[in-house]
Amino acid sequence: MHTSDTALVLADGRGFSGNSFGASPPAASELADRVHRSESALLRTVGEVVFNTAMSGYAEVLTDPSYTGQIVAMTYPHIGNYGVSDEWSECGPTGGHSGIASESPRGASPARTVSVAGFVVRELYDGPVPEGRERLDTYLSRHGVPGIMGLDTRALTLHLRRVGAQNGVIVQEPSTDRERSVAAGIAAHFPPMEGRGLLAEVGTHDPVVLPPPDNAPPGPHLALYDCGVKANIVRELHALGCTITIVPSTATAEKILATGAEAVLLSNGPGDPAVLEHQVAQARSLIGRTHLLGICLGHQILAEAAGARTGKMKFGHHGVNHPVRDEFGGRVFVTSQNHGFAVEESTLPDGMNVWFRNANDGTIEGLRDESRGIRTTQFHPESAPGPADSRWIFAAFLEGVSE
Amino acid sequence: MPRRNDISSILLIGSGPIVIGQACEFDYSGNQAVRALQEEGYRVIVVNPNPATVMTTPGTADTIYMDPLESDYLEAIIAREKPDAVLATMGGQTALNLSMDLEAAGVFARHGVEVIGASIDSIRVAEDRGEFKNLVASIGLESPQSAVVGSLSEGICAKAEFGLPLIIRPSYTLGGKGGSIAHSDGEARTAIERALSESPVNTALVEESLIGWQEFELEVMRDSADNAVVVCSIENVDPMGVHTGDSITVAPIQTLSDREYQRMRTAAIEILRAVGVECGGSNVQFAFNPRDGRMVVIEMNPRVSRSSALASKATGFPIARASARLAVGYTLDEVINDITGKTVSSFEPALDYCAVKVPRFELEKFREGYASLGTQMKSVGESLALGRTFIEALNKAIRAAEIGPDGMESIHAEESELWGMVESLHPKRLFAVYTLLRSALAGGDAGSVDHVAARINEASGLHRWFLHALTDLARIEVEIAAAGERAAAGPPAAGEGDVAGEGRAAASEGDVAGEGRSAAGGDPPAGLDPALLLRAKRAGLTDRRAAILAGIQPADVAAIREGASIRPAYHFVDTCAGEFEAETPYFYSTWGEEDEGAPVGATGVLIVGSGPNRIGQGLEFDTCCTLSSLAFRRGGRKTVMVNSNPETVSTDFNVSDRLYIEPLTAEDVIHVMRNEGVRDVVVQLGGQTPLNMAQELEKAGASIVGTPVTSIHDAEDREKFSALVARLGLRQPPNRMAGTHEAVRRAAGEVGYPALLRPSFVLGGRSMTIVYSEAELDRFLETAPPFAEDRPVLVNRFLEDAFEYDVDAVCDGENVFIGGIMQHIEAAGVHSGDSACVFPPFKSDRRIETEMIAATAAIAREIGVRGFLNIQFALFEGELYVLEVNPRASRTVPFLSKTSGVDLVGAAVSVWLGRDLRVQGLVAPDGDGIGVGSCITGWAVKEAMFSFDRFTGHDPILGPEMRSTGEAIGIGADFGEAFAKATVATGVRLPREGRVFVSVHDADKRTIVPTIRELREMGFSIAATRGTAEFLFEHGIMSEVILKVHEGHPHVIDHIAAGRIDLVINTPLGRYTHSDDGHIRVETLRHRIPYTTTTSAARAAVEAIRHLREGDITPRPLP
Repeated sequence: MHTSDTALVLADGRGFSGNSFGASPPAASELADRVHRSESALLRTVGEVVFNTAMSGYAEVLTDPSYTGQIVAMTYPHIGNYGVSDEWSECGPTGGHSGIASESPRGASPARTVSVAGFVVRELYDGPVPEGRERLDTYLSRHGVPGIMGLDTRALTLHLRRVGAQNGVIVQEPSTDRERSVAAGIAAHFPPMEGRGLLAEVGTHDPVVLPPPDNAPPGPHLALYDCGVKANIVRELHALGCTITIVPSTATAEKILATGAEAVLLSNGPGDPAVLEHQVAQARSLIGRTHLLGICLGHQILAEAAGARTGKMKFGHHGVNHPVRDEFGGRVFVTSQNHGFAVEESTLPDGMNVWFRNANDGTIEGLRDESRGIRTTQFHPESAPGPADSRWIFAAFLEGVSE
Repeated sequence: MPRRNDISSILLIGSGPIVIGQACEFDYSGNQAVRALQEEGYRVIVVNPNPATVMTTPGTADTIYMDPLESDYLEAIIAREKPDAVLATMGGQTALNLSMDLEAAGVFARHGVEVIGASIDSIRVAEDRGEFKNLVASIGLESPQSAVVGSLSEGICAKAEFGLPLIIRPSYTLGGKGGSIAHSDGEARTAIERALSESPVNTALVEESLIGWQEFELEVMRDSADNAVVVCSIENVDPMGVHTGDSITVAPIQTLSDREYQRMRTAAIEILRAVGVECGGSNVQFAFNPRDGRMVVIEMNPRVSRSSALASKATGFPIARASARLAVGYTLDEVINDITGKTVSSFEPALDYCAVKVPRFELEKFREGYASLGTQMKSVGESLALGRTFIEALNKAIRAAEIGPDGMESIHAEESELWGMVESLHPKRLFAVYTLLRSALAGGDAGSVDHVAARINEASGLHRWFLHALTDLARIEVEIAAAGERAAAGPPAAGEGDVAGEGRAAASEGDVAGEGRSAAGGDPPAGLDPALLLRAKRAGLTDRRAAILAGIQPADVAAIREGASIRPAYHFVDTCAGEFEAETPYFYSTWGEEDEGAPVGATGVLIVGSGPNRIGQGLEFDTCCTLSSLAFRRGGRKTVMVNSNPETVSTDFNVSDRLYIEPLTAEDVIHVMRNEGVRDVVVQLGGQTPLNMAQELEKAGASIVGTPVTSIHDAEDREKFSALVARLGLRQPPNRMAGTHEAVRRAAGEVGYPALLRPSFVLGGRSMTIVYSEAELDRFLETAPPFAEDRPVLVNRFLEDAFEYDVDAVCDGENVFIGGIMQHIEAAGVHSGDSACVFPPFKSDRRIETEMIAATAAIAREIGVRGFLNIQFALFEGELYVLEVNPRASRTVPFLSKTSGVDLVGAAVSVWLGRDLRVQGLVAPDGDGIGVGSCITGWAVKEAMFSFDRFTGHDPILGPEMRSTGEAIGIGADFGEAFAKATVATGVRLPREGRVFVSVHDADKRTIVPTIRELREMGFSIAATRGTAEFLFEHGIMSEVILKVHEGHPHVIDHIAAGRIDLVINTPLGRYTHSDDGHIRVETLRHRIPYTTTTSAARAAVEAIRHLREGDITPRPLP
């Protein structure tokens, strides 16, 4: 960290200088060339910049498919402290190591185990890590993801809080104002997250069947509608004895029901739910025909399917400390969250009740429609990273399925 | 759930006098609780016999008692006040233990009082190590392998099972008191015996050693709806083996993966659930073996604690305040986060900085006690610093501890000695580690640094992450030193030539005077590239440190800094890492980032706090700072508080308009001053710390509030002060300043023996000694701290057997209000902070009081005091002498304010706001311009509280060097009652009958006779050494003769050990000649037998015993 060599440039022209780690960032001019040549490789280094307030769990954040298309800035300054282990990957069973034996072939596209478009930290730890783990720097290099360190992440966070999440790009430190405005222009002209569908980049391409574990009493058979599922959702359900059939997000409702599953889980995933016409239509068709659990994007898809609307939040919820009140039970849970869109309460159809509500800003954090067997959470009961306080939601859902 | 309406009055139990392991964090938590409960509309009754606290300040609670924290007094208070509930979780272990006693005695049941905050059952489970261990196992967690033993033989069995080393602790004690590590059979045997005797229930815990494992602590809150949050996670830099209170710690946890951390977090919450903590905060400690991932639960405290205070300051989450609200029925989601003002408390604070705590030891005062740290806490205070990185916060916190170094620095020692420190639990271990890493790095071989780090990790268990951070710091230091050398080697700038060269040679590392090459008046200094300097500042280095490393002047560094616009930036402590806007301006500094503060402006006033607690500068000063901030705000001024002590009320988020957690050095305070655009700075209230930087602050543009800096310094300058005393026609003991050994000898000869020797610029009488002869003087000179012409020793004639008095006054430059005159109970020669004192004077002499009043007014006016003045007088052979003058608030100000009913801090602030003492009504509108306060509580006694039991083998003799850690008050209708209460409140159990052992110095024999006679009349039997016994016999008192130690068995110690002695009166003379008596006092301490070391204290003890024998228990609320 001597003189800066890298910059994070935001769409509004604000730049933050730092130093490179992980994969080398492109020069702004290089990006401009690629834009002219309409090369899709560009998609990898530009993204919506969001901040995450978790103080541990950077490895899980990096690999969470919901972060596809986003550059994540960690507000906690020291990152990389305990290295990275492939075991912690949150990338679903189609790519990377989920910790679950999968006999399925990998998807057709080279699924990346690191989801973020770029990673922003104040202080990178580059010392020795425990045996069997990898340094964050080499890990990101290996996965071709650029990182930037040494910048004022708090100023960045406050800026995003004030003006809202926006696109940004990690580039080699522009040497001229012109170069800087080229970078800002690229970020500004890159498609905004609002209206962006990203499901093509995540999740399985072919159905995958996970048999139940040997060491747990058998649970129900679930179909997992994979919009970029986090590995820990699969791990949790698997540990509860479920047989899980993971189906791609391109599947139809009929295909899903044809798996013979007793319930369907709509997973988390990246992007704007409002443009996911296919998935919303399939969800609509599933409603009333099986038990449904939606998590994060899955919650938003189910809400849209039921007739509600979703909207973009100013800077979203990305962290592991958000209090959520169970409006049915009265208790409050500290939850793991990662979403930039929320269901608009005024648009909720009859029968859809607010199950969970954010205790800070009052936004909807979960829905419930007992008559049609729908339960959803905007937050992540599987956590990873974050507190395990709301894991009970899986067991409670399965209980409902078995009844 | 809403507020409980079935209760309307709540009794809050405080923690009593400050001792090691239980300090002002409980004033902070108690104070928060009182305020929260009052805001909720409850009537709050406080009991705490600690006069220094904010919580016992009139106006804080509805009713305030300062009676002893003993069952009989508490029952009397409960009978009188009829509270509906008792909140016992705010007063540390003392309040919990007292509640257990009251429960056992049926007091709560008898008076229909409900215990809120934590139930008696949950306290019992958490505190009883055996029960707790079973509970931990029942929820599938692990404890260290251990056994609760009730006898030595049981302990030996446990040892055979677990193997050595073993950790041995008594049940139910605070701060790990009595705990130790045994490495051998013999050590194990001694430790078990000791633990059994120190436990109030005579059981001890013997457990496997986890030395070298990582240690973590979580601060958890849980409410009645079973909601739970972890407010703060803390990692101890020092691995297991060092008491957490003595460890350097960092929040949040740095080295655990999310999976590991979540496992710990879930376990902590499950423990609270299992213990049954339903409405409050608790901490849970874990040990973690990084080699195999094994996690064991060490302990939990079902109450707020030192670490919860730390966690509150580290995160911004007011744990005690929220706990109080939970205790009266609210749930976490109903309690608003006071920092953001809009989010709720059922969240977990997200930090975007590191919070590092550094303990402060009293290495000079208890040298023998600090050979090695262990499971028993020994630090007397702590500093907290926040920084964007661990190393920045660590450097700031070390500097804030005010122990000498500006941050992490190398120490001078042989390599073998350094490794010895690494392998042991040496209090300076981390400095030794840094020294080794830095010298490996300076060697230029990266492999060697890695090797050294690996070896340190192997030997000490210190995590590689911390070692890596220290190596990063070392790298910066080495680069700066190299840059300095390169600049020095380069061609000298025109006009500098030889002068610069000489200066450069003089500047070496560790040269605190900072003499180096100066660029003053010359070209901009070379040698330090701004980019490198910015890195240094971001790592927490001071300008001074950078200057020393580069071999240039601090002013040069400042010039380079300013030239490159490198200035500190201040960030909000907002509990949420920037996610929400903070409403409460609580700041810390960092460098090279965006500043978030907006200046409060010239109408603001900055109050410099008192820093970490230390002997001689503790809670009293923080209370003065806190009260002044509140008073200024009432007067319409905006206040900016700067302090580094996380335990205090002054660092509570809502005491001042702006709060800065920053080290109390001139450099750091000047930055705050400039950032806030404040000119007015208060330096009179925080003890010696602010006064020491007053001149530098003034040079930087501060306008010192009240007494001018020059007057302060004139009062502290012995010669100028002597001239002043002479000018006013007052008397001082003969005195001389001496800067060399020879001069000291000559001076002592001139003033005459016994002589009192006092090094300059020290607090709490550090290294002060009385010598009775030249031989003793020689011994002093051998061991004295370094002194010189510019840091001379003051040689005073010691006024033996004088009566001493303390006076606190407020002056507006013309009028003087004397809060009161306090008489010391211990004879002259005992430090005023260690002496019991009584208000009003016990043996009053109207003429002398009048003289003292007149002298105080004359001195105040002559100095030009605007604000506080403290004077110590001595009455020697009928004449009044001025011993010492302090132009600042003294430690007796809170005591005097409460017992005189006049808020002296409020009076001083009013003076500073322009209202003179006549306008305030404290001085009569016509007359001599002098007002005098009187005691409104009948009699009030302040007794010193010691923590000698922390330092095995330490002689508890009192002397001119202060050793007490706290104080207790007793209020009574007569002196006997007041003294009895004060004594009981310090935990001393004066006997009502039994045997008194007397051994007094020849000079005291005549004085002691009436005292002993009275004891005889009350039915005590008397035992004495041969000489004393003969003297008593001559005066008609029969006594049993007991052998001195060197006279053979059974000697006095055998009698003490056999439990035959109930009170010891032992007066030694001189510090060195009578050290023989030391082991008697050590033994009485071990067996908790009251002892007095002066005849006047013996006299007072007799008055107290007389009161206790009457069996009168009368609680007396503050009027």
